[in-house]
Amino acid sequence: MTDTLWSVRRPVGDLRPGDHACLAYRCEEERRHVVGAFVRDGLLAREKVVYLSAVAAPRVPGVVSLPSRRLLSVITLDGDPRAALGRLAAEISAAERAGFRAIRVATDLTGADPESLLGCERTLDRLVAPSTSVVALCQLDRSRLPAGPLEELGAEHAVLAGPDPDFEDTVLRIVRTFEPRGLALAGELDASRHLVLDQALALVLSGADGADVHLDVAELRFIDLGALNMLAEVAARRAHHGPLILDRMPAQLQEVIMTVGWNMLPGLRLGAAFSPAGRPERWG
Amino acid sequence: MTLTHRAFLYTGREEFLAGTTAFLRDGLERGAAAVAVARPENVAALRAALAEHDGAVEFYDATEFYRHPVRTLKSYLDLVERLAPQRVHAVAEPVWDGHDAERRAEWIRYESLINEVFADTGASALCPYDRRTLPAEVLASTRVTHPVVIDGAERRSPDYVAPRAFGERRERARRVERPPGAEYLPIVSDDLRPLRSFVAARARAGGLPETAVRNLVTAANEVAANALAHGSPPMGAWVWNDDGEINCEIGDNGHWRPDPLTGFVPPKSALDTGFGLWTVRLLVDYVEMRGGWDGTFVRLRICR
Repeated sequence: MTDTLWSVRRPVGDLRPGDHACLAYRCEEERRHVVGAFVRDGLLAREKVVYLSAVAAPRVPGVVSLPSRRLLSVITLDGDPRAALGRLAAEISAAERAGFRAIRVATDLTGADPESLLGCERTLDRLVAPSTSVVALCQLDRSRLPAGPLEELGAEHAVLAGPDPDFEDTVLRIVRTFEPRGLALAGELDASRHLVLDQALALVLSGADGADVHLDVAELRFIDLGALNMLAEVAARRAHHGPLILDRMPAQLQEVIMTVGWNMLPGLRLGAAFSPAGRPERWG
Repeated sequence: MTLTHRAFLYTGREEFLAGTTAFLRDGLERGAAAVAVARPENVAALRAALAEHDGAVEFYDATEFYRHPVRTLKSYLDLVERLAPQRVHAVAEPVWDGHDAERRAEWIRYESLINEVFADTGASALCPYDRRTLPAEVLASTRVTHPVVIDGAERRSPDYVAPRAFGERRERARRVERPPGAEYLPIVSDDLRPLRSFVAARARAGGLPETAVRNLVTAANEVAANALAHGSPPMGAWVWNDDGEINCEIGDNGHWRPDPLTGFVPPKSALDTGFGLWTVRLLVDYVEMRGGWDGTFVRLRICR
């Protein structure tokens, strides 16, 4: 499954009415992070959220205590996709009549057979694409779908959803990555933004449970010595765990680090090589 | 364990080999690690003369080893640490060819810094100086930078100056005013992006290769971040081109009086407090620090 010419990548927070987006997730943490943000942001903004699930009593990501039936509706397939989609269409109409400015539909049809999944996606697309109020996010489990159907289902979506940045301004962007676990950094990193990186790193490390943590620095154009010092400190604090791995480092950053010497940076390792084409693979 | 740091003045291959092989053999007999860093022709001669100790002596090409004084100090320190607990007996022959007066002065300062950086290592260094090819100034400097000089006979040098005093003398000697044409950028916030593009654009326009541009930008950013953290406003950066050498000076109104040894002693890792300034010294050709009544000024110069 690859990016198609007509697909757009968008952070989940930037999805707009009319977007029929999908998230092909690799792990539960990624699913809860992205879908959780989609559901939570909707509920916080008092928008209608409809959760369509293949299992009987789904745990809806992003929900702490169950919100009112008015805000959140859960529809289950119960072995009859056609009927479920009918109920979904009815929920959407009802929400529109009730005056909701936006309606968020999240689907988790993992477990349904790929053939009926495809039918669901097409029906959903007819509901969402022309709408000025409905936005849909479909979850596809990479580990449970064979490559062919995954590719086919993905192609039904014009938008590929990703995580919202942990931090973003005109200078630096920090986004969570899940496999490998870590952060992707883009832009320039100097003392004015050490704190936000420190906070984002702390969040990743707290859930890492001793596993390796990766920083994808392919789009990082500048890193100051203070940040190298900070990363070495972070690595030293978890010395008995795996190292901090810097992936896809551009030549110009590597040059500066070579001058300093990798032996000055205990606990930091160079990981996957830089590939100038950008993200090496998004789907496969 | 104190350092033994001796200059060895020689004329011709025979005298060179007699002095250096006796020194290295003596080291091996005492159980020390023997290391020879010398110019390629001297390495070849030493290898042949020490053939019976094949494998027991580590040889290095001085033209590779002596590229940047700050890097060389670190390389020797790494060597001493790697070979510990053995003490190191090193023939250490610097390279003096092709340097202008200023670079020569930096390498002379380097010889002085050896006394500080290796003070407690128990190492023994014998630094060969070729009487026939080296400038008189370099030969004369051996008496100031080495506590002991072997010039025919071995003598304690009465002219020896301790590294800190030597550094102060050197910093005083080379004070040059900023030219009136220097361009100025005030530093008004902790977002240093404007400074980086200001420095990069002028370094590129001055014909610096891209690696040198990046090194200068990284160094200038570090000095400015330091000024922001510890100095007082107003702060700013001046950049000028001195005949192909790009100069960047960061000034603030603080009263930091830098120790002349600041940034020369290699940190153990990026976790050490001295990491930033040490790296700054490594990234450019020359770093000059001045604390005066009018503020603190750090000048970076690079022409590579």
